[in-house]
Amino acid sequence: MAKKDQTFTKEEELLLQDFSRNVSTKSSALFYGNAFIVSAIPIWLFWRIHMIDLYSSLISFVIVTLVSTYLVAFAYKNTKFVLKHKVAVKREDAITREMNKNLADNKKMSKKEKDERILWKKNEVADYEATTFSIFYNNALFLAIVIFASFYLLKSFTPAVNYVLSVGVAGGLLALLSTGSQ
Amino acid sequence: MEKLCSFLVLAALIGFSAANSNICTKPEVSAQSYTTPDATILTNIGFVAEFSLKCGNGVQNPSLFAELGGKTQSVARIGNNKYQVSWAEDVKKAQRGDYTINIYDEENYAALRKAMRNNEDISSVKPLASVVLNFPGAYQGPWVNSEFMAFVLSIAVLYAAYSAKSKLLA
Repeated sequence: MAKKDQTFTKEEELLLQDFSRNVSTKSSALFYGNAFIVSAIPIWLFWRIHMIDLYSSLISFVIVTLVSTYLVAFAYKNTKFVLKHKVAVKREDAITREMNKNLADNKKMSKKEKDERILWKKNEVADYEATTFSIFYNNALFLAIVIFASFYLLKSFTPAVNYVLSVGVAGGLLALLSTGSQ
Repeated sequence: MEKLCSFLVLAALIGFSAANSNICTKPEVSAQSYTTPDATILTNIGFVAEFSLKCGNGVQNPSLFAELGGKTQSVARIGNNKYQVSWAEDVKKAQRGDYTINIYDEENYAALRKAMRNNEDISSVKPLASVVLNFPGAYQGPWVNSEFMAFVLSIAVLYAAYSAKSKLLA
């Protein structure tokens, strides 16, 4: 990463932010909140449908939900990172056109400043779209795996084992698939 | 001896007249039926037909027999001139539609049995009356179970998500 004695221009910082795997606190909170919700949803499925004993499996609920929250958030982050650049490329023209139209009246602004604004806007739009789409995609994948595993693959197991395995496998698979470059 | 003979003749006459008076003429039948409506967790469908018989010549409570699809069974009397025929059938074998139950009294039931023994056409024996029982079919659970439905829906959403993703990555 950047050394301390080097200073970056605003544009360079934006570019770095654009290409970094790090996510802002806000989207990190969004990721972990969503991952927690989607990891906790299978508890309802196992409680009402698979008739799991709620109190005796309390510990496994907590552990599995936390592990799965971490894995799903990890998958969100990776998917977002892969998607962000593609989204940025896809939306580039439209954003440039719109920003130029908006900033056309502003005669005082220099060309460099305008370009910076466009870059910033592009980053924001791509970030937002990639974040929301990553959440949607991973949630859909996670729930489909949980439903398939719990109803078909692990049908013959007891609900407690079924819960740990199906949610664990879904989280693990999600994290694994998200590490692919595509 | 003579006395005995005349007694026998008399007894035979009485018996004959009694038997004769037991024959129901111009029967009027009104029937109600019940079949199992919900067979979700059952193995057999119950068929119950209840009917009341009113004979034109005022004969009370004659004993009756039923024939259904080539099989005979007795008819239970459940009240004054009220009768009931019931049977159970495997859920998979029970066909929906009309079941015609032929009702016989003792006399033509004997003729029916004879016809059956001799492998003759049983439709030649005229029944006393017929009761039609309609079986509209029983509910055997939804066509697709809910977990399959949930699975299909989740796959549909996943497909939408995946195709959107590949469009973005293309």
